[in-house]
Amino acid sequence: MTDERMFDHRPDPELGAALRAALEPPKDDQARFVARVMARYDAALERAAVPTWEVLASWSRRGITAAAAAAVLAGLLLGRALQSPAAPETIDAAMAPASGPGLAALVTAADPPDASVVFTSLVEPQ
Amino acid sequence: MGSGDEASLVAQTLAGDRTAFGHLVERYAGQARRVAHAVLGDADEADDAAQDGFLSALVKLAQYDARRPFGPWLMRIVANAATDRRRRRHVRRAEPLDPALVGGGPRPDTEAVRSELGERLRAALAELPERRRTAVVLFDVEGYSHAEIAGILGIPEGTVRSEVFHGRRSLRALLADWKGA
Repeated sequence: MTDERMFDHRPDPELGAALRAALEPPKDDQARFVARVMARYDAALERAAVPTWEVLASWSRRGITAAAAAAVLAGLLLGRALQSPAAPETIDAAMAPASGPGLAALVTAADPPDASVVFTSLVEPQ
Repeated sequence: MGSGDEASLVAQTLAGDRTAFGHLVERYAGQARRVAHAVLGDADEADDAAQDGFLSALVKLAQYDARRPFGPWLMRIVANAATDRRRRRHVRRAEPLDPALVGGGPRPDTEAVRSELGERLRAALAELPERRRTAVVLFDVEGYSHAEIAGILGIPEGTVRSEVFHGRRSLRALLADWKGA
């Protein structure tokens, strides 16, 4: 090959054919390769679609969990509010001795109360 | 297949037509695999790179200018995918050319002998710089013009001419040696 030929603007058919043969994958392999690329195409499409639903589903799951937790908390607070006695309406009512042996014994006894009486008056519900 | 036909296939692919993408893959599979093989020097890795190239092209398809030929645009992506894969190689490296393969040999009159020539050519290609062997393959095997190869490889057209010249010189010497043996 002369330098002119090597600088030729046209492809060299002889060299081209030899190189093509050297680089050519097996002919029966072409369909397998195309199928492989198309399988990746399908998988990519699937991946592109699935996350949307997964994200929505995860949001939904989180929303349901949060709503359930909020409902339980609200129920607990409501239950406690209903169970606790109403606040006394006046100062006198608040200072009046409540019924019950513990506190009555404390305020009417002539002798100093013993510790069990004081303790009972503290823990006894009013 | 004309460029208009290819533009139509691209438009259909963008619209989600799987079959249209399949036609593009079928049309360019051989070319993409050969170019990737020229870059990587390994057929299996070349297939991986060609596949990466097709899928990367699919992602970038909206950027393709339908007024230009599709082949050079796709080959640029495939060549880049192959080059990236080559750079990521940590252990595997191109084996040096076996001196025993460079010498003469029997005439290419049987399949086995032709296969041996192919082996020598692949080994000789592996000895060339990546850009040089890719330029030769794109020019002499795939028939792209110097200007198109310049676009594919992202180098000046004059550099492409020089690379093709030097690459041809090495490979032609091997081929002449083979024929003269």
